[in-house]
Amino acid sequence: MYLVANIDTEICAATSCKLCTQYCPEANTILYDNAAGEDKGFKYGAAYVAVDRCKGCAQCVWVCDNMAKHNAIKMEMIDQIGNTALTENVTYGEKTSSAVLANPVRGQM
Amino acid sequence: MSLDYVKFTPGFGKFMPKEYRDMVEHGPFGKKTSVSQVGTFKEILEEHPMCAGCAMTLFIRLAIIAFPNPEDTITVGTAGCGRLAISQAAIPFVYGNYGDQNGVASGLTRGLRLRFGDKPKDVVVMAGDGGMADIGFAQTLHSWFRKEKFTTIMLDNEVYGNTGGQESGMTNKNQVLKMAPLGKKFEKMDMLGMAKVAGCAYVATVVPNNPRRVESVIKKAVLVAREIGPSYIQAYTSCNIEYAIPTDKVMEDAKTVETDRYKFSEYITDEAKEYLSQLYGYKEYLPKPAAAVTKQ
Repeated sequence: MYLVANIDTEICAATSCKLCTQYCPEANTILYDNAAGEDKGFKYGAAYVAVDRCKGCAQCVWVCDNMAKHNAIKMEMIDQIGNTALTENVTYGEKTSSAVLANPVRGQM
Repeated sequence: MSLDYVKFTPGFGKFMPKEYRDMVEHGPFGKKTSVSQVGTFKEILEEHPMCAGCAMTLFIRLAIIAFPNPEDTITVGTAGCGRLAISQAAIPFVYGNYGDQNGVASGLTRGLRLRFGDKPKDVVVMAGDGGMADIGFAQTLHSWFRKEKFTTIMLDNEVYGNTGGQESGMTNKNQVLKMAPLGKKFEKMDMLGMAKVAGCAYVATVVPNNPRRVESVIKKAVLVAREIGPSYIQAYTSCNIEYAIPTDKVMEDAKTVETDRYKFSEYITDEAKEYLSQLYGYKEYLPKPAAAVTKQ
């Protein structure tokens, strides 16, 4: 087993700074779901990790803890995360505008 | 291939490669995207074999997002870590023999201008400090002296990271490395100074701990290289393996190094300022109004 980043949706959706999406060295790995916070009444969406692409460097953890000061990201064993987003399940909006956000379909590892 | 002048016959788009369709439908081709929108669109860069937590990878990722017209951009690289990621992108990548990248880019730029005339086709060289300041030094400088219109980006990790940690011209003086156990004897090369002397129209240093600044610098460099002249960006992209930086401390190191010895700097000629302000609306380069004369 190995460690991957796991983002707390509630903490993330409360602020939605999007710093982790900008600082991740891997492309198409930390994605942003605009609808993630809607169910819980948050104004914003939240970031999530496509775990099959995460190399476990924990740069996002440092950025979230020290730059954003939100402490929303933890490194966790991949088999202990309940719902994980996989790249093959990630779909994008129909419209080609950049304002359309990723729409993840989460599945079990 | 530009979407502006190559259109697919309706109904035949589905026969294009999926990678290309993804870039058109969900990626940045034909649209304006920015670093602040990442995570909401499919990026050009894909999975790559570079080390976990590599700052160079982060810089390459940000740079590719920042290209003003990615569908009209060709990247050129050479041996080194960077090419492992740059080649895994959905835009053409040309691999020059070690050190040849600026020579290859010169020919490529001229050929594209002959073939496509005034349609902008951007050529961006991204290579390491070894490929650019040591082995490709002559070709790099000559391309600048010849005023070849393309962008040169040095991925400066201050070591030959791909081959076990030999010192490069860009390594700092006295730095001890695995393959330089007595420490480097000479100063770090002043490539920025040489770029200015050789006639680059835009020269900047940047560290990837400020993604929006990276985006801004890359955009300006590519735009200036279209019409005005060569542009050069020197980016500090630490090697966390050879410099033993824990992966979760890479950005902390970048911040320290930026404060300490790799401060953001930007040099731009008056001609390039005028070009950016007139054609692309860069207000910071508009001529400042003359100060009002104070009455006695």
